[in-house]
Amino acid sequence: MTIGRYRIGVMFSDSGPYGTVSRSMRNGALLSFAEIARQGGNGPAFEPVVVDPAGAPGRYPELAAELLGQGIRHVVGCYTSSSRKDVIPQFEKHDALLWYPSHYEGFESAPNVIYTGAAPNHHIIPLIRYLLANVGKRAYCVGSNYIWAWENNRILREGLAAAGGSVIAERYLAVGETDHSKVIAAILEAKPDFVFNTLIGTSAYTFFRDFRAACAAYGIDQAREIPIASCSLSEPELAEIGPAAMDGHLSSSVYFASIPTATNRHFVEAYGAMFPQGPNVSADAEASYVAVKLLAAAIAAAGSDDVERVRAAVADARVAAPQGEVWIDPTTNHAFLTPRIGRSSAQGQFDVVYAARQPAEPDPYLVQTAPRYAAASRPKLKVVR
Amino acid sequence: MTELRIIQNFIGYRALIAAEEGAAVAQLEATLTKLGLSVAYAEVEAGAARLDEAALSGEQAVLFADADLNVTLESAAQELLAQLPVIGLIGVEAPSRLKAIMRLGATATLRKPVYGGSVYSALFVGVNAFRQRRALSVEIAEHERRRHGRRYLIKAILHVMEAAGCDEDAAYDRLRRESMRQRLSIEDYCERFMRALPGAHEPSIRFQGTTNAEKSQQGGK
Repeated sequence: MTIGRYRIGVMFSDSGPYGTVSRSMRNGALLSFAEIARQGGNGPAFEPVVVDPAGAPGRYPELAAELLGQGIRHVVGCYTSSSRKDVIPQFEKHDALLWYPSHYEGFESAPNVIYTGAAPNHHIIPLIRYLLANVGKRAYCVGSNYIWAWENNRILREGLAAAGGSVIAERYLAVGETDHSKVIAAILEAKPDFVFNTLIGTSAYTFFRDFRAACAAYGIDQAREIPIASCSLSEPELAEIGPAAMDGHLSSSVYFASIPTATNRHFVEAYGAMFPQGPNVSADAEASYVAVKLLAAAIAAAGSDDVERVRAAVADARVAAPQGEVWIDPTTNHAFLTPRIGRSSAQGQFDVVYAARQPAEPDPYLVQTAPRYAAASRPKLKVVR
Repeated sequence: MTELRIIQNFIGYRALIAAEEGAAVAQLEATLTKLGLSVAYAEVEAGAARLDEAALSGEQAVLFADADLNVTLESAAQELLAQLPVIGLIGVEAPSRLKAIMRLGATATLRKPVYGGSVYSALFVGVNAFRQRRALSVEIAEHERRRHGRRYLIKAILHVMEAAGCDEDAAYDRLRRESMRQRLSIEDYCERFMRALPGAHEPSIRFQGTTNAEKSQQGGK
């Protein structure tokens, strides 16, 4: 085996509207690098090169170009889909690999990206099945006005319709909006079986608090009577919601910090020891941690950081991750991951109420589950003369 | 008429690529496979792709035709092509090449070399635009057929006015009510009505195209 030293880019935003989750992702990656360095041995050595776009959209392609211009061939980074889409041309131009460790809405499979976060069949599909079996069929959708919310609401609508359920309404708020009074009044009026939340960042945290308070004012036990279900609501976000409203929410995710395995306990403790200031460990932090482990294993097996060779080698790499075994499907460059549903507790953690028996094959285009036809719009009736 | 439903999942579709195998279409084949389609290549000989009937037939097929090739068709395949969505692969953006893929009926295009990230969009728009266009031609043919049937409506109105001693509005209302009761278009009903009269002659017009009953059997798509 060739022993080498490789510089690896790490590109996450330290601040900005999604800084909390993004920081936990950077921390997950750095913990992984620290563990690999501590193990030492005969394998290659890695030097993380950390850059911070600070949540500014234009900075992502600039920083990616800088890293790749220095000869770096692998970058672990990006949280939002828009930042990922913005940097992909740089990775194609330099024939480099982006290791993208966030859950996202799917419908992409770029040859220069390895996706270690959850695809839609890992989060929204299991959530729909759980809600139909355990909660109800009538949903009220509230989301931030962008692709993540639109696409998840579409999939939810199709899933509910196939089971005879319905979406009462879809309401979209601008990213960062914190006045939820109108939408909360509409939800209380509609009395859905559950609220499906695709708000992000501060909009989400204030919604959870305001909705809980509004329900309490009407004598409604919100967590039991109108639970809020989300894809990938994570532990750092429960902390942001705060103790008054953090419990009783459903989240679909491939990772929760409460998973009771020795590997996960080690991960949570090591993360807490290295980053005592937080933010708490999250699913996306785990995906970043796993991305670095997979990347290191693939470079070690390839004996080089050459993209072609690493891409071939990663197909055979398997990582004993905190969530269970993880590996990459070479057809889609997405990861096999284990879907789970958690209910949040007053301690700011999730109790796992459902876990798939084994890792699920990634299906970024939902070809295995989506109906052939898109949901029809409202039927148009006309008078026949 | 019910709204045409949009296809979003192409699993089980067959893609026929009429292009030379190579780097320019490597991502096309890889992405189609990820999207759940099976992929076959047309035979390319001396710069021309030949399409045979078997490869084109069936409801769930889509043709990717390279505009830089001379895509030639067997005579039997010509009719099948009208039933097949075509997506043009564009190399040289010259009018002659663009016209060639328009002639094949292309409803979407992809630039060569094909970039994986644009395949699903082209497939989605190409197949659904083709289905809309086909549904519109069926609808236009039906309207055309009914337009030819208007003469029976006029004859029937005159007949009812005379027989029942009513005005043309009352005669029309009566015919319309009866046609609706029998679930026929008013033109089809009037044709039957006039033919059933004693001493009716063979009609001088022969109707072309599908009947309503045949059309409703094809429906639900």
